[in-house]
Amino acid sequence: MVTLTRRDFLRTSTTGLGLLAAGCAAPMTGDIAPKTGRRVVVIGGGWGGASAAKYLRLSDPSIDVVLLEPNENFVSCPFSNLVLSGVRTIGSITFDYRGLRRHGVNVMHREATAIEPDTKRVRIGEGYLQYDRLIVSPGVEFQWEQVEGLAQHKDTVLHAWKAGPQTVELARQLQSMPDGGVFVLTVPPVAYRCPPGPYERACMVAWYLKTRKPKSKLIVLDANQNVVSKTALFRGVWSKDYPNLDYRPSSKVVKVDPGVREVQTEIGDKVKYDVLNLIPPQRAGTIAVQADLVGADKRWCEVNHVTYESAKAKGVHVIGDATTGLPVPKSGNIANNMGKISAVAVAALLNGKEPPQLPPGNTCYSWVNDREAIAVVNSYRIDGGKVVQIEQKLTPGPSAQYGQHAVGWATSIWNDMLAFGRGD
Amino acid sequence: MSVILGLLVVLIAAGSAFAGPLDAPGATKALTCSACHGMNGLSVSNTMPILAGILPAYFKKAIEDYATGKRPSPEMEPYAKAVKVLGIDELAGYFAAQKKEPTLIRADAAAAARGKAAAAQCAVCHGPDGRGDPAKVIPDLRGQPPGYLRSQMALFKTDKRSPGDPALKAVKALMTTIPDPTLDDLAAYFSSVR
Repeated sequence: MVTLTRRDFLRTSTTGLGLLAAGCAAPMTGDIAPKTGRRVVVIGGGWGGASAAKYLRLSDPSIDVVLLEPNENFVSCPFSNLVLSGVRTIGSITFDYRGLRRHGVNVMHREATAIEPDTKRVRIGEGYLQYDRLIVSPGVEFQWEQVEGLAQHKDTVLHAWKAGPQTVELARQLQSMPDGGVFVLTVPPVAYRCPPGPYERACMVAWYLKTRKPKSKLIVLDANQNVVSKTALFRGVWSKDYPNLDYRPSSKVVKVDPGVREVQTEIGDKVKYDVLNLIPPQRAGTIAVQADLVGADKRWCEVNHVTYESAKAKGVHVIGDATTGLPVPKSGNIANNMGKISAVAVAALLNGKEPPQLPPGNTCYSWVNDREAIAVVNSYRIDGGKVVQIEQKLTPGPSAQYGQHAVGWATSIWNDMLAFGRGD
Repeated sequence: MSVILGLLVVLIAAGSAFAGPLDAPGATKALTCSACHGMNGLSVSNTMPILAGILPAYFKKAIEDYATGKRPSPEMEPYAKAVKVLGIDELAGYFAAQKKEPTLIRADAAAAARGKAAAAQCAVCHGPDGRGDPAKVIPDLRGQPPGYLRSQMALFKTDKRSPGDPALKAVKALMTTIPDPTLDDLAAYFSSVR
């Protein structure tokens, strides 16, 4: 899935002709790729950034698009809870960026280190790139300091909230836990990436324990007063199918002590664990905070609802989980939509045109066992320059049919972002 | 892909500043749809129907029925309402104008052969190879994903698609006479017709 054939390499190289000679030969100091025409730099190749990069090229093929993403591969957070339960492999949710290169996107596996809106530069170590407009899709960063004892153990206390090596390691820990063990999952206070994600994870862990380690138990310590998303659906599944799941609301974890395998909640409850999955509180990705794109809360970024231009910096657009102020969840589907809409808006602005008023939409499936899923769907319109919800619908309950739809959704949207199939 | 690359080369050569594939009327309004239904309405999944080349009247009836809840779907009802806000005629026109390409999902050849033998009963309305009848707003079944065709037949058979719709009375009555394994075969057949 991630090997580059000679034919692909040749196609990639010729697509880049006349644009940028990609990262490998470029100098690392000064202007690392001097700008010849109009250029948009996209920071972050996740759900938002990958979509933005592709749709910029589709919106106006004369725009030079540089995507900065340190990781060689894209690993999907949606469906990664299925890797924890062994239903899927990490390879089945790992993709490369060849499709974007075929669209003429200059994908550079480099990390943006700073943004300079005044000079329209993105710093990459000792060098920089010049842009006409910038799209920042920084994702989330963890607030390690919010949980005592976490910062010094952040490599061993697993979040698995960015799909990748931690997902695989948490799956391994779950599989090697002795039957009769206790798995503790902690849910951070809102706002965090993927509102239903922790509860889907609870379902997958409970399903795994029920089928493989029936004497074991899952304790969910939720900082929130109740299940944040798809509440009745999740609670219905838990009471019917998962007696091994002990859900404790209003149980914000404030301390972790890996030495004695114990977490402590705000009200002083101490809970022992055999395996711990601590999902820390979150804020916008570090580059957005360093560039002061965040608001007074120092966590999230306010944006224009039509163009996604930052309320703090002209010519800089922010998309995905890092944004706030729109009545939308921090979901992959929303990030994908924001990527496309911001791309169309940026292309229009660079051509002196009025950006069209396009609302996002949200389709969000959660697995409740190895074959059944539930869903929530939100549609929106633009009213007076603001995104307003038209309707939210939930599935009446879990079904295998919605599980099939979930697979269809994932297949489609991965392709929509990363362009590895037809129709792109 | 090759079409877009070709277009790209032509545009760059011509020095055009702003003439991408998203300039077609309705194209940007369809961006929300493409997450599931694919760029240009060319679905790559087994469950989402291909919208490229769809009959405008069929598209509009589907959207109206989803939006009112007459055709129940928790997934499509909110989006149908959004389509009505964006402009149902413009989106119907956009998808109708896209070139249809058959599904990439391969059906089992033996099932398709059995389906072909059983397809005569469908031909009365859908034509000999499932091409449909635009004059009667009967859809073209050819090349749609087998999973989508199969799920719609199940919804007809159990009267869960637009319950009470007089226009669907005949197809639902027919579906109740067809055993489920034959529905699998019919889905395999029509999805594989080119």
